[in-house]
Amino acid sequence: MAIVNRTPDSFYRPGITWDEAAALERVHTMVAEGADIVDIGGVPAKPGAEVTVEQEIGRTVPFIEAVRDAYPDLVISVDTWRNEVGRAACAAGADLLNDTWSGWDPKLAEVAAEFGVGLVCSHTGGLQPRTRVFRKAYADVMADVLDRTLNLAQRAVQAGVDPSRILIDPAHDFGKNTWHSLDISRRLADMTATGWPVLVSVSNKDFVGETLGADLEGRLAGTLAVTSVAAWLGARVFRAHHVAETRQALDMVAAIKGDLRPARVLRGLV
Amino acid sequence: MIIRAALCPCPPLLARELTGHDPLVAGLREACAAATARLVDTDPDVVIVVGPAPETAAWDPASRLDIVAFAPALGPNGKSGLPLSLGLGALLLDQAGYCGPLVLQAVGENEPWAGCAELGNRLAASASAARAALLVMGDGSARRSLTAPGHLDERAAPFDARVERAVRDGDLAALAGLDAGLASELMATGRPAWQVLAAAMGTGQPVADVLYAGAPFGVAYLVAQFDAAPNGAAQPGTAHPGAS
Repeated sequence: MAIVNRTPDSFYRPGITWDEAAALERVHTMVAEGADIVDIGGVPAKPGAEVTVEQEIGRTVPFIEAVRDAYPDLVISVDTWRNEVGRAACAAGADLLNDTWSGWDPKLAEVAAEFGVGLVCSHTGGLQPRTRVFRKAYADVMADVLDRTLNLAQRAVQAGVDPSRILIDPAHDFGKNTWHSLDISRRLADMTATGWPVLVSVSNKDFVGETLGADLEGRLAGTLAVTSVAAWLGARVFRAHHVAETRQALDMVAAIKGDLRPARVLRGLV
Repeated sequence: MIIRAALCPCPPLLARELTGHDPLVAGLREACAAATARLVDTDPDVVIVVGPAPETAAWDPASRLDIVAFAPALGPNGKSGLPLSLGLGALLLDQAGYCGPLVLQAVGENEPWAGCAELGNRLAASASAARAALLVMGDGSARRSLTAPGHLDERAAPFDARVERAVRDGDLAALAGLDAGLASELMATGRPAWQVLAAAMGTGQPVADVLYAGAPFGVAYLVAQFDAAPNGAAQPGTAHPGAS
């Protein structure tokens, strides 16, 4: 799942795909590098100037239409918590609603049901959209993650969302300190064991930076390490800024698991 | 009587194990250690820790910081449920070598001045026949910078400056008069604890010594010491919000 932020101020390389032509060029590159899904967002997760519903629609919906025109079969995801944006995005051709803010707007699931699209059910520890974690404590963070995401998934099914189109996401960093994000990474098998497909979004996040003492541009190796562990533990979708590197890491894990044959084996065989 | 009070902040990072290899803000920890050591130096009959929490309640003095709630990898240990502020207060006292009688008293985050005053008066009255020390845990605004937990709010720095000035001046009425609504909006979680302090210290103007004041991560931390007014013991019940 390749990240395309239609924002001027997201945390990683802000503004790089603010211009629509640059954003579409980025989609071409990411698809060529092996992305199966593009995740289009119009509001940064961090606090900042308000982005209204109309502005968010303006940032995302015309772009979704452009991507759909260029790639009739590509899975298009929209990163939003608002039902109005989800509705406009689905009408424009989106296939998946990436609800990073954990069901903050309960009507988003109804939109997913109405349009027959997918829904990501995530965990934020109760954070309001666009706020930061502050001294959050958990008796058991994975138990909290499971409780919330499975409840959201159940609610979505009751609202009419196709169960085969629901994913769950522990949402690293959201409502969690670095210790918590490391814990959910270590215990991700508890999520994959539920049977719901698991999405992980770890790319360049603060818990990687804090663990390695790395600034924003120095987090790729850490990101790929978490990605690989998550893949080994059964995660199915990986939200990423670095598509080619992520694809390679995932292919390597798949080969180790025996799910993918090596591209070319010659060593010791000649 | 309350002979001395210490004010310390209560970010989880005060617990050294939580910050990984990097000790972070060693100066802040040293200031807290110094303030707590000065409390213990008074050889008190009892130390009362007051800190903000969801509800006003007294906690088992044998409870300690539930560090696993913040860092699962550092467990296992008991899941006490003790509020962070009281857990850190108890930790500071343990680190200072204090092993005497202890009271762990939470004050509700939304407790209005009247409730804080009642609690402060009650704590002071309970210690009237003893030499008591007060360890008051609380923070200023968590909205001091763009990267702060609560993002930047322009009202945060002036608010924290008012608190710091009140503490430097030993101005109990100014602490009593802090605006609870504004403090809440600014994520200044120390407000109710400071108001309990203001009530508990009662009359007179305590002699203050500020050991640390800063907001290195966008949250205002203040470490200080109050000694009861030189003319005698603090008497409960007379601090009240200033007229301003």
